[in-house]
Amino acid sequence: MSTRSDAEPISRPTARDGGSAAIAERILRPSIRRRLFVTLFLPAAAVLIAGTVSDYLLALPPYTDAFDQQLLDAALVLAAHVEKDPAGRLSLSLPVDALGMLRAGAQDSLYFRVSREDGTLIAGDADLPNPSESGSGVDAEYRGADIRLISHDDHVGRERISVAIAETTHQRDALRARILLTAVATDVVVLGLILALIWLSVHMSLHPLAKIEHQVAARSPDDLTPISIGSVPAEIRSMIAALNRLFSFVYENAASQRRFLENAAHQLRTPLAGIQAQLELLSADENDAARRGRIGRILDAARRLGRTAQELLTLARADASVNPGLKPERVDLVSVVESAVTDNLAAAESSGVDLGAQLEPASVQGIDWLLGEAAKALVVNAIAYTPAGGSVTVRCGERDGAPYVEVSDTGIGIPPAERGRVVERFVRASNSRGTGSGLGLAIVKDVATLHRANLILEAGPNGIGTTARIAFPRRAA
Amino acid sequence: MRVLIVEDDALLGDAVRLVLGNAGFAADLVGTAEAARAALQAEPFDLAIVDIGLPRENGLRLVQGLRGRGRTIPVLMLTARDGLSDRVTALDLGADDYMTKPFETPELVARCRALIRRAHAVASSRVTFGDLEVDIAHKKAAIEGRDLDLTQREWAILECLVLNAGRLVSKDKLLASISDWSEELTANAVEQYVSRLRAKLGTAAQIRAIRGMGYRFDEHTV
Repeated sequence: MSTRSDAEPISRPTARDGGSAAIAERILRPSIRRRLFVTLFLPAAAVLIAGTVSDYLLALPPYTDAFDQQLLDAALVLAAHVEKDPAGRLSLSLPVDALGMLRAGAQDSLYFRVSREDGTLIAGDADLPNPSESGSGVDAEYRGADIRLISHDDHVGRERISVAIAETTHQRDALRARILLTAVATDVVVLGLILALIWLSVHMSLHPLAKIEHQVAARSPDDLTPISIGSVPAEIRSMIAALNRLFSFVYENAASQRRFLENAAHQLRTPLAGIQAQLELLSADENDAARRGRIGRILDAARRLGRTAQELLTLARADASVNPGLKPERVDLVSVVESAVTDNLAAAESSGVDLGAQLEPASVQGIDWLLGEAAKALVVNAIAYTPAGGSVTVRCGERDGAPYVEVSDTGIGIPPAERGRVVERFVRASNSRGTGSGLGLAIVKDVATLHRANLILEAGPNGIGTTARIAFPRRAA
Repeated sequence: MRVLIVEDDALLGDAVRLVLGNAGFAADLVGTAEAARAALQAEPFDLAIVDIGLPRENGLRLVQGLRGRGRTIPVLMLTARDGLSDRVTALDLGADDYMTKPFETPELVARCRALIRRAHAVASSRVTFGDLEVDIAHKKAAIEGRDLDLTQREWAILECLVLNAGRLVSKDKLLASISDWSEELTANAVEQYVSRLRAKLGTAAQIRAIRGMGYRFDEHTV
């Protein structure tokens, strides 16, 4: 049997209350989803990026070659226009402007130098660097700008000439940038698509898990019905089966404990009823006053024993751990209070207490006999602590949609400082007399807790006596 | 008045038999449902006190069987189980009253008397409480042979209370017994009729008001 604190909900930290620590904790927590995501996405991204880089590197040489070929063509044209005049001097017959025509659409500056084999300038820019090898393009720098330089050796008549031609690389750079941009943009889009597809497939694959997790999380702690195994994925089927075995084990345990307590109640009550009835007979038959007194004391003890046994059993059976899966039913509070009052009319009468009720319709979801025991305990208590001539009033009804049962007496009251403690087992108020076991309010408290209700103890009407109220939660609309 | 006690616990069964014997009943004790059926077949009884927790066949089944065969004998059930639902089950299955162990013996005797009286009232339509005699069929009541002069509504209330002697009768139930289509009555009217009735009955019987709940007709035992 568990203690009462077990019934209290275990508070779970939420993402909100830990600040950054909680977020870090969440990230570090193992997650199948994250693992799947990372192990699928990172290799895919790496393969894609490698592909893009190689595509880019492979795409560049043909472009470079095409540009170089154009440049070389221009060099050939230049070389073709070198003429030897009658004086034997070499000169370029092409007007300089025409050079622009050689390269249609060129945004780049064009430089050239035509020279003899010995290096004497025929035409163009004298300071243009001289490429070492003829016919293939090289990168160089000229007048502070990157250039592509290419040379061509030719001859006019028997005289060898060398043509060097260069252009700035703006167009090449722009093209290269466009190729790179296109590749990266494609990459980003594809990567995004892959990301979305992986996310979708991970989400879809884990959906059954999430469903089960939600199902388990949404269960109330006393719900011990097995989880339906039909839609459970094969990977966690044995885990769910193990959970179900645990559920049924706990349920069986609780059920057998409940059966045991019911049997114990039965086994105790019948002999106690017999002893009590036999003693009542003996007492009635006895003429000797002293012996009758002694029998009366035994009878009192038997009654007290019966009451305490009953209270202990009720307390044990009110424990939430004994009642998992017990379906609460609609309980009419009016009939609960009516039985509590009618069962105690005789006791009230013999104590000289006026017992009455004020009943308004009210009902709650709960366990009828436990509510009955709680109401009875409140009435018994109230009668016990109310002197002759006083009154005890039992009320039930609804206040702002919240049902309640309360018992007011005009008795000695409970000192305010002790109100919290008297609901503990075997604790009685310091000003109490009589022979109560101190279990009555503990029963009421436990029954109230089981029904998610509060037990409120306060001074009675006009500050006289005590009002004990079981305040149930507002009914769901 | 013959009472059959069906209780398997010897100590309690014996005590109940003696208590009822002292109260003027002729009581017989059996320990099983089978023996109870045989006894009820063989002899006429006015009342059966049946424990629910009998060995083999429980008391609820016994009572259900009796009612199924059309036996109208009043039945008081004893039980060691708690729970309003048990009470409801017992009453639904045909028991007339229900007591939880342990109980006070005077209460048991009072309930036995009330049950027998009610059964007789149904059979012979006459009920007697000490000096008070109530004739249900002829709607007449008399104290020490002198007829009481009762109005129709006073009579309706007396009848309702007498047929439920010893038990709480709600104000609503009394109100329903005196209401007709011609007039709207309030709970105050019930109080008025009850107080007039009290005056007419004098000391012959006691109608106890239970604050906020209703009335109970108590036999004047002293």
